[in-house]
This record gives sequence, structure tokens and C-alpha cells, in this order.
Amino acid sequence: MELALINKLRKLNRIVALIVGIGLLGMATFVVADIALRQIHASFGGTEELAGYAMALVSSWGMAYALLELGHIRIDLLRARTQGMLRALFDVFSMIVMTGVIATIAVKCWPVVARAVENGSRANTPLATPLAWVQIPWFAGWIWFATMASLVTLAAISLMLRGQASKTETFIGAFAEQDSLK
Amino acid sequence: MITYVSAGLLALLALSIPVGIVLFLLGFGVDQFYTNFPLSRALGNMVWSSSSSATLIAIPFFVLLGEVLVRSGVATRTYAALDSWVSWLPGGLVHANVATATMFSATSGSSVATAATVATVAMPQAEKLGYDPKLFSGAIAAGGTLGIMIPPSINLIVYGFLTQSSIPQLFLAGLIPGLGLALAFLAVTAILCTIWPELGGHRRVFPLLQMARALIDLIPILILFALIVGSIYRGWATPTEAAAVGVAGALLIALAFGGVSWTMMRESLLGTIKVTSMIMLIIIGASFLNFTLSSAGLGRELTAFLEGLGLSPIGFIMVVVLIYIVLGFFIETLSLMVVTIPIIVPMVLAQGYDVIWFGILMIVLIEMALITPPVGLNLYVVQGARKSGNLNEVMLGALPYCLTMLAMAFALIAFPDIALWLPSALN
Amino acid sequence: EDLSVVGSWSSLPLHKAYEAPFWSETLPGAGDFKVELTTHNQMGLGLSEIYPLLGQGVYDVAMTVADYAVGDAPELEGLDVPLLALTADEARAMVDAARPMVADIYRARFNAEVLAIAPYPPQVVFCNAEINSFSDLAGLKVRASGRMTALFLEALGAEGVNVSFSEVPGALQNGVVDCAVTGAGSGYSAGWWEVSTHLLPIPLGGWDHVVTAMNADRWNALSPDKQNLVRDQISSGFEEPAWASAQDALVNDIACLTGNGECASGDARDMVLVDISDADFETARGILVGDVLPDWAERAGGDWAARWNDSVGQVVGVTIK
Ligand code: NA
Ligand code: NA
Repeated sequence: MELALINKLRKLNRIVALIVGIGLLGMATFVVADIALRQIHASFGGTEELAGYAMALVSSWGMAYALLELGHIRIDLLRARTQGMLRALFDVFSMIVMTGVIATIAVKCWPVVARAVENGSRANTPLATPLAWVQIPWFAGWIWFATMASLVTLAAISLMLRGQASKTETFIGAFAEQDSLK
Repeated sequence: MITYVSAGLLALLALSIPVGIVLFLLGFGVDQFYTNFPLSRALGNMVWSSSSSATLIAIPFFVLLGEVLVRSGVATRTYAALDSWVSWLPGGLVHANVATATMFSATSGSSVATAATVATVAMPQAEKLGYDPKLFSGAIAAGGTLGIMIPPSINLIVYGFLTQSSIPQLFLAGLIPGLGLALAFLAVTAILCTIWPELGGHRRVFPLLQMARALIDLIPILILFALIVGSIYRGWATPTEAAAVGVAGALLIALAFGGVSWTMMRESLLGTIKVTSMIMLIIIGASFLNFTLSSAGLGRELTAFLEGLGLSPIGFIMVVVLIYIVLGFFIETLSLMVVTIPIIVPMVLAQGYDVIWFGILMIVLIEMALITPPVGLNLYVVQGARKSGNLNEVMLGALPYCLTMLAMAFALIAFPDIALWLPSALN
Repeated sequence: EDLSVVGSWSSLPLHKAYEAPFWSETLPGAGDFKVELTTHNQMGLGLSEIYPLLGQGVYDVAMTVADYAVGDAPELEGLDVPLLALTADEARAMVDAARPMVADIYRARFNAEVLAIAPYPPQVVFCNAEINSFSDLAGLKVRASGRMTALFLEALGAEGVNVSFSEVPGALQNGVVDCAVTGAGSGYSAGWWEVSTHLLPIPLGGWDHVVTAMNADRWNALSPDKQNLVRDQISSGFEEPAWASAQDALVNDIACLTGNGECASGDARDMVLVDISDADFETARGILVGDVLPDWAERAGGDWAARWNDSVGQVVGVTIK
């Protein structure tokens, strides 16, 4: 049951990551088009500013994908010398701590968004972008990450309580079995 | 405070908590124990301001560029071509790793992306041809660090920004030390493999005709280099924008070689998001830790320490080198630069040193930090591309190159012109 | 009293020569204050986050360019209008007139008490193109920081481009931008003279005023004696000397960039000093007063335009219609 949930989350986050990736590709296209336009003395303007927003969105929405693909770096020196239950304890403990920190981040991101909404803050640039437009989706990305981390942690704890600790390695271990780079 | 952070870092990392998360935890700790101010209230602001950076978008662009080259087969062909030219040296294919890394450094602004690109194409060869994994993977991790010395370089841009020094000059100053390091890596590899032949693989001599034909396979990467660096120096794009030009160029090249497919694009994008997220969690965590540390007075602690030593300029610079080596063990490199530049550079300049020269010296030290454990991104990138084996092997294999970098640091101190000659000659 | 103080850019003269000595020596010497001083760039703070975090009590005192905060307070743009003040004395008079408005804005928006307003050097224009008048800017791509400057450039027919400080030299060299606005001293030390030919010594980007403010809760908790001490000390020990040197610094920096006069900072360079005719200047000012300022009045809303007319407007002889 837990593994089925993890599989669903993986599929879901692959789709999210793909959308983020396509957005990134779109940003690259936009920058290149702007460079081309400049050669004929025209320009969209504001590429640097938009690139900053793109980067914030890429980092908040991509995090959960990296989590489910075991992409976030962990130091494996002690853990590698353990096995079975003990190793699973390392993994579950690490996931609990991570979930706590990510949830804290997500909660603390709210005041930033709230200020932008209250003040109607706009970027101090020629575009004068209303910051809420970019900060709300950015904040949602961190909420998404926190939610995914919580679900993964719950799945791992549940497996552990049912005496199947070794099965957690496939989704909260230190490294992916097969790295996505081939 | 320095002691607390170092000890806490080691303990939390040993528990195998993700590195980025550990940095946040240490930041919370500094907030809790070393200041009376509610620093954690700024957490959300730090996360926003450190991630919404146009400069950083060069990271996913350069990673994507590498992924496209790898998955379309262009990188493999480049690697094979360089292999046919350098594998007659003692150490064989290990030289191809260094040569390929050097070549990709000229198209990449980041060391992590350079290492990732080379690791992905080289690792399968190591197993096929039976290489000792230590030196083989160490050479990739070390060669990858050239990505920030040979222009373009994200780190030099950051240095130029923080010290208000000229980025074009910094780029020029990095060229000779970068190529010098590349040659030194080749020499060290050859020497090691002459003494202990089992470290390298077979020396292979390729027929002249095949070598000549291999040159054709180097053309795509040379075009890409011309496109990226050319677009900067010919006046089309800023260094960050050049990364996007690189992506477009890589896609066109891949298209020309028939290497573009829906699957390949999907996997490239997914790989890019995964690597970028991994790096960004660490960069955001490091920014928050940096914020708490400087709020709690790390700058004063360091300044008081350095001034208390009462050293001569040369003694002072030696202490600075030592500080970077030690901090480089623990702190992610971009954050290491951001944390230390505002504190260290003014003191270095006050001792009469040149700001461009020190930028290059710092980059050499930062390159070392990239391959020293426990926080050494390049080690993990290379380990990530391997399918088996232990991280210790990569660390051990990187050690000789690490010492080479140290030698380069001393050479720069003894002969500043290694860095300064080119910018002044072209002025 | 323990104070946690966040200074402005650590590499610039204002911090090195005035902020740092004031907070680490002058104030602790004058009263019972223990100061922890750092700077926003050392902390890695986002530029627009500095005052909001001050309001939340993350630190006690902060100083940075007021323009960085206009995203949260568009009415603050009125403090630093381009082109209206050509000398330090004129800029000072503008600031003094604007002070009550600025104090109100900081109390309302950032929960902070304004202690001092000091200038960065005027934001002049470096061009890698031949410029002889404002009308030559039309069609050129200009890197400017700050919204009002960008809008003014657009009104002049130029195109405002957002390029970070570090990328400006490359962008100038390559024609990604034709001109860029920054302080004359910053441009000199960052080597912009290497990549540009013409210097327009007119504060097209205003003066980039640096506002020093204290968290309001912290301020209100100080005894009236301490409040007076801080105000007196910061006025005599920081604000006055910073303003006093502003004009000399401008003359020196322009000498260093163009070779017209004595350069005390290093080798003099040979940029062309552009001399703007009076008629040309009046035209540009007309555009400012006719287009850019009314735009701002609308953005700021409320009675800000009226307050501005009654204070700053009186000093510089401008009325927003
Ligand atoms: Na490079
Ligand atoms: Na390291």
C-alpha cells in the first residue's frame, strides 16, 4: 500500500518536474529570442527580472521531484556501515528532520507573500511586476514540497511499524538505485 | 561560534541528514544560541531572495546544456576523440577525462555541471576498459573544477560583483592559471601512472588516420565554445544570458546529429530539474546559515582573530590560504565565497595585494574546496554518476589533484604574473 | 544598550568612512551602547527585504538606499527624483524638505523610525556611445536602477534595461547596453571607464539616498535622553560629515574618470566629459515635470503629490500638476 502511494507520488512529481523543465526551456528560448531581437535594436525587456522569478519557481517546484528520486545529497559514511533496521532508522530519522525543516520553511514563506499582497508590492524595475503574482506560486511550491515530504515520511513510518523496514530503502535511501543520468 | 558550527555540521552530516537541511538546522542553532534577535523570522525572505536570482539561472542552463550533449551522444563522441589523442600517455584514458573537462570548462560557467558532463560520458568507459576507479573518478572531479577557472565562470562573476572589480579582467586572468592547472593535472596523472602503472589503464596508440578523423568530432564542442564565449565577447549577451545561448546551441548541434527525440528531451529536462534542485537546496540553506552567522558576528570573530596575529603580508596570505582550506572542507563553495569575500578581501587589499590576483587565488582555493570532503559537491556529482563503489574512492582519487591545486596556489603567490600578465598585456 | 546594526554596501566609501566609524566608535564612545555592526551584503539580504525585516525586529538598525524599498512604498520614490538636484547642497535641501514625509512613510510601512539620511554619490551616466545631449539617449539601451529613473529614461526615448552591477562592464563592451547609470566612484573603481567613452556628469539616477532607521518598538523603548543622544550623535557624527564630503567626492570622481582636475583615488582616466547645454537640460526637465512626476503622483496615490509640492517642490521650484 505504502509503495503504491510512493509510486503514485513519483509519477505525479515527474509530471510536475517536466512542466517545470518545459518552463525552464521556455525561459531559455525567451532569453535567446531577446538576444536576437537586440541585434535589430528591439527587445522584450526585463529578461533578467523574469529569469530571477523563473529560478525561484524552478527551485521551489523541483524540490519534491528531487526528493522522490533520492536526489538530495546525504553523507553516507556512518549509515553505509549499518544494515536492516538500523539503516532504516537512519533514513526515517533523516526524513523526519527534513520534513520538519521543510514545513518550517513553507510556513515562514507565508509572511513574505502576505506582505506582497497587503502592500500591493511591485518589483522596483521597469516592469514593476506585482510580486504577489510570482510569490504565490513560489509559496505553493514550498507547500507542495512540505506535503510530499510528509507523505513520504508517513509511508516510511507506516512500513516500519508493520515490520517491513527494509522496504523503505527504495524511497528514502541515500542514493537512487539507478541514477537518472545514464 | 566557529567551533559550534564545525562540530554541529560534522555531527548532523554523520547522521546522514541531507546537506542542505543540515545548513538550515545550523542556522536555527546559531539563531537560538548566539543572538538575541529573532533571525528565523527572516527565513522566508532569505529563501525568496536567495532563490529568485537571475545569476543562478545559469546553473540549470549549464546543466541542461550538459544533459543535452550527453544524451544526444555529442559528449561521448568528444570524449572518444580526445581519448584517441591523449591515451598514449601513461595513465591512458584518465588523460581523456582531464582533457574533456578542460574543453567543457570553456563552455560551462560551473564546476558541478562540468564534472557532471564528463562523469556521465566517462564512467561507462572506466568499467569497460578496466580502470582503477579511484584515480579515474578523482580526475573527473578535479578536472571539473576547471569549469570556474577557465572562462566563463559563475564564481568569478560573483567575485567581481562583490568586490566591484572588472569581470572581463577576471576572466582573462583565469585563463592561464586554468590551462596551467589542466596541464599540471595531465603531468601529475602521467607521473603517478608511471610509478604505479596499475592506477591507469592501458596506454593505447591510435592510428593516425583515426586521430585525424576524430578531430571532426571535436568541431561541435568548439562551435559551442565559440558561440558561448563569442556571444559574450562579441557583444551579444551577458555571461548569464550566454548560458541560454549555450542551451540553444547544444540543441541545434544535437539536432544536426540526429540525437534529439522526445524521450531524450524528457530525460534531459528531468535530469536538469533533479540536479538543480539538489544544488539549490544547498545554496538556499547556505544563504540562511550565512545570514545567521554574519548577524551573530562571525565577521568580527574572524577579523579579531586575523588582526590579533599581527602578521607580515606574506604570513597573512598564508593564513588566508589555510582558512580557505579549512572552511572549504565544510562550506559549500558559492556560500563560502559570499561569506568570506566581504570580510577577507578588504584585509587582503589593505596588505597591498591586487584584487584581480586575489580573485584568481581564491578560485584555486575554491576549486580545492569542491573536491575535499565532507562538503565537496564535485565528489558527489561524480559519485552520483557511478553505478557502484564507495565515495571514499573518489575522495582518495581526487587527493593528488588537490595537492596540485595547492601547488598552483603557492605558484600564484610566488609569481602573481601567472594571473596578471594576460590582462595587463591585452590592456 | 545592545544594538544590532546592518550597514549599507560594505565596499563603498559611505560605509567605510562614515557608517563603520560612527557605529563602532563614535556612538559607543558617547553613551552606553554596545553595537554589533554588519552589512546587508555580508548577510546576503535581498535588497528589498532590508527594511521589512527591520520592521519585524530581526535587527535594531538598518541603513540602505531608500530606492530599494519603493516596491513596498511607491510614495518613497519622491525622495530621490532624478535631475532636480545637481549639487550636494541642492540635494541636501531636498532631503531636509522631504524628511517629515520620509519619517511618516517609514513609520507606516516599515514600523521604523528614521534617524538619518545620507547620500551616495550622484548617479551619473556612463556611455559607450557618443553622447552630446539628452536627445542622443533616444533609442539607446540604458542600464538604470530604480523605477523612476527607468521611467524617465523611457520618457526621453531611451530603453531601460535591467542588468546587475557585475554584468555592466561586459554589457557595455558588447553593446548589450549603450549606457549605464551608477555612482561616479563605483564606476571608477569597477573599471567602467575601460568599456565606456562618454561621461554625462548629471545625476540622471538621482543621489541614491541612504536612510538609517531603527525598529520603532526598539526606538520607543529607549529613554528620551537616549533618544536625544542618538539623534544628536548621528547628526553630528555621521550625517554632517557624510554630506560635507559629498560634493568633493563628486568633483574628485569626475576628475578621476575624465582627467579634468586632480584625482586622489588613483590614475586618472580619459573619458569624454559631456557638457549639456542649458536649453537641452530644460527640455529634459520639462519631460520630468510634465510626464514622470505626474505618473508618480498617481502611483503613490493619497495626498503625497500635494505634500511633495508643499515641501520638496518648494525647494526645487517644481509643482506636480
Ligand atoms: Na568555465
Ligand atoms: Na569541501
